[in-house]
Amino acid sequence: MKKPNKRLRLGTMIGDVVRSIFRRPITQQYPFVRTEAPPRFRGKLVYDPEKCAGCMLCVKDCPSDAIELITIDKAAKKFVMRYHADRCTYCAQCVISCRFKCLSMSSEDWELASVHKEPFEVYYGREEDVAFLLEKRPAECPEE
Amino acid sequence: MEETKKFIVPIGPQHPALKEPGHFEFSVEGEIVTGVSIRLGYVHRGIEKGAENRSWVQSLYLFERVCGICSHVHATAFALGVEKLCNVSAPPRAQAIRTLVGELERIHSHMLWLGVAAHEGGFDTLFMYSWRDRETVMDLLEMLCGNRVNYSINLLGGVKFDIDHAQRDAILRGVDFLEERSHHYLKICTTDRTFLGRTRGVGTMTREQADEFGMVGPTGRASGNKRDVRIDAPYASYAEFPVKLVTAEAGDLMARFDVRIRELFESFRLIRLILDNLPQSELTARVPRRVPAGEVVSRVEAPRGELFYYIKSNGSDQPERVKVRTPSLCNWGSVTQTAVGSKLADMPMILSGIDPCFSCNDRLVNIQRGDNSQVWTWEDLRRYGIEYYR
Repeated sequence: MKKPNKRLRLGTMIGDVVRSIFRRPITQQYPFVRTEAPPRFRGKLVYDPEKCAGCMLCVKDCPSDAIELITIDKAAKKFVMRYHADRCTYCAQCVISCRFKCLSMSSEDWELASVHKEPFEVYYGREEDVAFLLEKRPAECPEE
Repeated sequence: MEETKKFIVPIGPQHPALKEPGHFEFSVEGEIVTGVSIRLGYVHRGIEKGAENRSWVQSLYLFERVCGICSHVHATAFALGVEKLCNVSAPPRAQAIRTLVGELERIHSHMLWLGVAAHEGGFDTLFMYSWRDRETVMDLLEMLCGNRVNYSINLLGGVKFDIDHAQRDAILRGVDFLEERSHHYLKICTTDRTFLGRTRGVGTMTREQADEFGMVGPTGRASGNKRDVRIDAPYASYAEFPVKLVTAEAGDLMARFDVRIRELFESFRLIRLILDNLPQSELTARVPRRVPAGEVVSRVEAPRGELFYYIKSNGSDQPERVKVRTPSLCNWGSVTQTAVGSKLADMPMILSGIDPCFSCNDRLVNIQRGDNSQVWTWEDLRRYGIEYYR
């Protein structure tokens, strides 16, 4: 075997270990201290119904069927978005696809874990439209 | 009668050294391995087939999820292939950002491997510290792209995000820190006497063997194989920002440590070069929703080696066929080759030495018997998938 040209040593990482004794732990104290996500972070999807024209591109491009856009009144541009946060892969393709800039991803709202299913189904839209849809809902989908 | 006397040590499928499933059977004589059989396929997810009834845009995100470590190169390979089919090329700034994120990803992947390999060798201190430092590059990627794992920076025809001055400065600071640490790790991996006992002369592959078994990426380059897609067939902006080939001659585990850590320095240099010479242009080019009929081969250099995509379009809004060949699959040959004659205790190190990614390389293989049809429809696959578990 070729003879190594470097001098071999023992305990090469002792320096790191000793230095670390005098340092604060590097671990993030997450549940106790909330970490700030960077501004570009892709958290929960946010929908602004005022700008939406109902082109459905977001629904078409979503890789995981996380978005449903329900038309209440096409002429008056009334839409309600049913967003499934549990199916969403947070890829932001819908944000890019939207030509009217009515979609964005929140960098604040990212603690989405839940033990119940309900918080994962989010309704976005004008208040009266959402109320109208929820009232109609049992008739609309009887199996639920 | 000799066959019946063989003593076989089964390892896996649950977490064989690494935290992914794969089954290995080592026949041993004393503590020397005399034969290896590998069984893969525990995490097959049918991604290639799944792409066939998704649109091109949706498929991009599906392929990004082939691998959890090198998600960006998969999306890049797919996007470059689709752009070639459409005869569109992404603007220079977008290509440079793709390259930059690709190199950041390589840093994160190599540091992850350094930790895993050190852990398999029983050097947990190196594992802990290299993973602590890896957080730096993970944070940079999160700041740049908005996610730590699936960066989703690619679009068909460009990238989603630009790089501003504050981000540029943060990346440069992070790279400086990581470069200093990488020098330290290189020194450790080449001079620590205890660790060298586990790596030097273990799992040696000669150049001839590496060629014969089709080794790719750093595993092949550690045996003196002079192949790197970034140099041989530059894609994205590797033609404007060339990389230097990093190779070693020894072919053992130490050489693989050496090559991967020295590749980090090349990545640091490239990142600085790109940030200083970022071209000014748009970020996206228009790619039609219906991709013109045709077929294309797209090759990129993933952190583990050459990643190969074959894409076929029939002119509709969905791919007709996408074939992915990941580097881990090519490198398994080296494990069966080098394991024979090594000690059983070296197996975890030899396994992790190729930086395997199990979920990348699982494919469905349908062995043709008699006049069975080789083309399986969705219905056939579903039926097979259900009946297999009955």
